Amino acid sequence: MKELTTDHISQQFNNELELLRQHFLTMGGVVENQVQDAVQALLDANGSLAEDVKKQDTTVNQLDGLIDEECRRILAKRQPAASDLRMILSISKAVSELERMGDEAKKIANLTLNLINEGESPRGYVEINRIGQMVSRMIHDSLDAYARLDLEAAVKVAKQDRAVDQEYNTAMRSLVTYMMEDPRSITRVMNVIWVLRSLERIGDHARSSCQHLIFMIKGIDVRHVNVNDLSADMSKK
Amino acid sequence: MSDVKTHSIDISAMQREQQALNIENEKVCLSVKDLHLYYGEKEALKGVNMIIPEKKVTAFIGPSGCGKSTLLRCFNRMNDLVDSCRITGEINLHDSNIYTKGTDVAELRRRVGMVFQKPNPFPKSIYENVAYGLRIQGINKKRVLDETVEWALRSAALWDEVKDRLHESALGMSGGQQQRLVIARTVAVKPEVLLLDEPASALDPISTLKIEELIHELKKDFTIAIVTHNMQQAARVSDYTAFMYMGDLIEFGDTNTLFTNPGKQQTEDYITGRYG
Repeated sequence: MKELTTDHISQQFNNELELLRQHFLTMGGVVENQVQDAVQALLDANGSLAEDVKKQDTTVNQLDGLIDEECRRILAKRQPAASDLRMILSISKAVSELERMGDEAKKIANLTLNLINEGESPRGYVEINRIGQMVSRMIHDSLDAYARLDLEAAVKVAKQDRAVDQEYNTAMRSLVTYMMEDPRSITRVMNVIWVLRSLERIGDHARSSCQHLIFMIKGIDVRHVNVNDLSADMSKK
Repeated sequence: MSDVKTHSIDISAMQREQQALNIENEKVCLSVKDLHLYYGEKEALKGVNMIIPEKKVTAFIGPSGCGKSTLLRCFNRMNDLVDSCRITGEINLHDSNIYTKGTDVAELRRRVGMVFQKPNPFPKSIYENVAYGLRIQGINKKRVLDETVEWALRSAALWDEVKDRLHESALGMSGGQQQRLVIARTVAVKPEVLLLDEPASALDPISTLKIEELIHELKKDFTIAIVTHNMQQAARVSDYTAFMYMGDLIEFGDTNTLFTNPGKQQTEDYITGRYG
């Protein structure tokens, strides 16, 4: 993204794009922490960390509004074209993905507080730990791909989502089996299932944000393309 | 199954509306083949090949001195008036090369009309300005003149503003009105092609929008080629855009694609304001 925000004749325009880029990456960093903290709070049954995650959501929402406003202003004032236009559109969409990841992290924090109040689930923490690490990695790598405009990395992250889905399905099967064997555990296990569901959604948002990045770099819409066909699609242009 | 409600939204029709135009499917109005143009020693056009599609708007963009106005002037042989100018290659209007010997240049310029940056109405009445070209052609019947003047002024979206003062001087009109008058004067002789060289650059934003709206209307009847420094204007009014640089045609394609995802880096740099 660096090279996208330089070289314009208008230094003002460069500055506006650079600021937009920085704010986006800042917001990404906040969300990345938020998700990691949410998972950690759950694993450690740390109530105050969970409260902290909920508070961070305010920051994320404010950044969402701020970046949206910046995009609107640039569109109105600069009438960007080509790669500039694609950058604004992609960031505007990717920001929404980040904001929703933040919402999911907040949900996880709420569920953590439930688990602390209602008692731990007998199962599911291993799965949460594993999927939590996978999606944290995805968020990190997707932001990295944004920072370096790395097409290959974006495709890789988008493909990673499939592994998360598989883990999620496996975890779901084993937890459902457990609940059938021990119905008294249902309330507590359900909290864990909602957490897994949120993590799986975060993975989806990370994938989507990489698809926006692919659009930004290549100008082709891959939102509804099978991930396995991504590379083939990429080489077309 | 009969109670299942089928949604009759025709997505493919919506897609067709959005579909990028394809130059291959267009009827050719003007075709340019290996056109070189020299002002003395200086080569101003370096082998341009392209077509101007019929009843579409083709915009030429590029930095000053890239040859876009020069190319536009080639379409009705305005460059003949420049002494040191030499041209090789050909331009075909439909199927006849306009640069062959024996081309009736006056007739060519009737078929390919031109409007310039600064409105240049004659110091005559509004009516006489529009009727001028017809009178030159020897048309003097009042009924024919009246009809054509009204038609031309309506085509130029000017009729309602001037119908009550047709015999007042054209010089009393605003700049935007004068420019539309000049367009009316050009279309009055029923040309096939309209060449517009920066038609709105001397006008205020509202008059500019009126001219742009007019261009959109006029393409139903005429093939239009427009040179503009205002890239957003090119993006708004044209179906096809040609980007020129230093006498070369760098990229030519449908406007939607060219402004969202151009094929060449040079085009990208120019339309995003990176050209140094």
